[in-house]
Amino acid sequence: MRLFGLFMLIFIMWIMIMIVSYFLVFIIGPLHISLFNNTTDRLISSIVKATLAIGLVVVLILLLGNLKTKYLQKTLQRN
Amino acid sequence: MSALSFLIIYFITPAFIKFLNKKGKVVKDYHKPGMPNVPRPAGPVLLIGIVISEILLYFLILDVKIISVLLTTIIAFIIGYIDDLKTMPGWFKPTTLILAAVPIVILGSHGNYLGLIFDNAFIPILYIPLILSIIPIVGNTINSIDVFNGVATGFVIITMIPLLVSAIVFGNNNVLLMALPLLFGSIALYQYHKFPSKIFLGDSGTLLLGSMYASLLIAGNSEIIGVIALLPAVMNSFLFLSSVKKIVEHREIKTRPVTICSDFRLMASKDNSAPATLVRLILAKGPLTEREIITRIFILATFSSILAFISIAIQYLFMMGKISL
Repeated sequence: MRLFGLFMLIFIMWIMIMIVSYFLVFIIGPLHISLFNNTTDRLISSIVKATLAIGLVVVLILLLGNLKTKYLQKTLQRN
Repeated sequence: MSALSFLIIYFITPAFIKFLNKKGKVVKDYHKPGMPNVPRPAGPVLLIGIVISEILLYFLILDVKIISVLLTTIIAFIIGYIDDLKTMPGWFKPTTLILAAVPIVILGSHGNYLGLIFDNAFIPILYIPLILSIIPIVGNTINSIDVFNGVATGFVIITMIPLLVSAIVFGNNNVLLMALPLLFGSIALYQYHKFPSKIFLGDSGTLLLGSMYASLLIAGNSEIIGVIALLPAVMNSFLFLSSVKKIVEHREIKTRPVTICSDFRLMASKDNSAPATLVRLILAKGPLTEREIITRIFILATFSSILAFISIAIQYLFMMGKISL
């Protein structure tokens, strides 16, 4: 089927979005850093969480970029 | 209100097509034999239908979210209309569309929680830059997929369904009512925009569609669902950006991603420097007619919408506590 490869590409993208969502909710979300045992800890935790979340999204974008480059090269070479 | 939007656009468009033809506001359809002239833009008709419907809806339900969605839509339309009148540089649309996101932030139509399928993330500060980037990204994403007859309107119609289902499932009734004029307006316009097009949307039409879609996603807390439904279009703009490495207008590209055969079928460019677009990927396995490409884009939109439905079901089950990890 002509569109099978693109279906798979979109499906993999969806799986990756779900994995990132899972990490954000269950791994990064509950993260708490205790350094000074006062309100500063909350601020530090939020900054660390935001940085990790942005980093994770950047990794997702890079992975997707890599994935589509490989797919495109493979498909164009084969045909 | 949705019927009103449909009726206004459906009955005004033929007169507007005549008006554009009379004024000589036409562009060539390069993908057809004889390269016929097609009037452009359809954005003003779409705007009239949607604005009238949304204003009437506002007087019925008095929800400030309607005003913010409407302002975002109008600003996006103006930006697109400027680009329709005068060819602007590549940076113009993405940067100025940030302005279109401002009404949502100022009128506080967004929530503080980002729906992440498995749960909601409380991100009151991070949410603002997210909104300021969602409107330009989705606006340009719909703009970049509008490469063939009826694709943008057809694509929005298909991908609106998960958005409406999400609004119903999670009880966002006002967002559902706000979204219906866009859906029915798009259905009405599709009758004239579909293959063979009697009118082209222009940037005013595509940016209006994309920005309103994005503002509804924000108002309905369905950002991730929307991204999933729009995956083929996101992939297209993402492919284009990552291969060209800078924000440029399509007409500024020196090497075309597809070429037209003598029988008017389209073929993927073998040139390595050509941008990697969704259409080039579709054509990678051999030439196709314009109609066949359009059908394939709609099939991909349907597939991504099915994934969005699955995501809504997962989100619902997690929200109800039926499943947990």
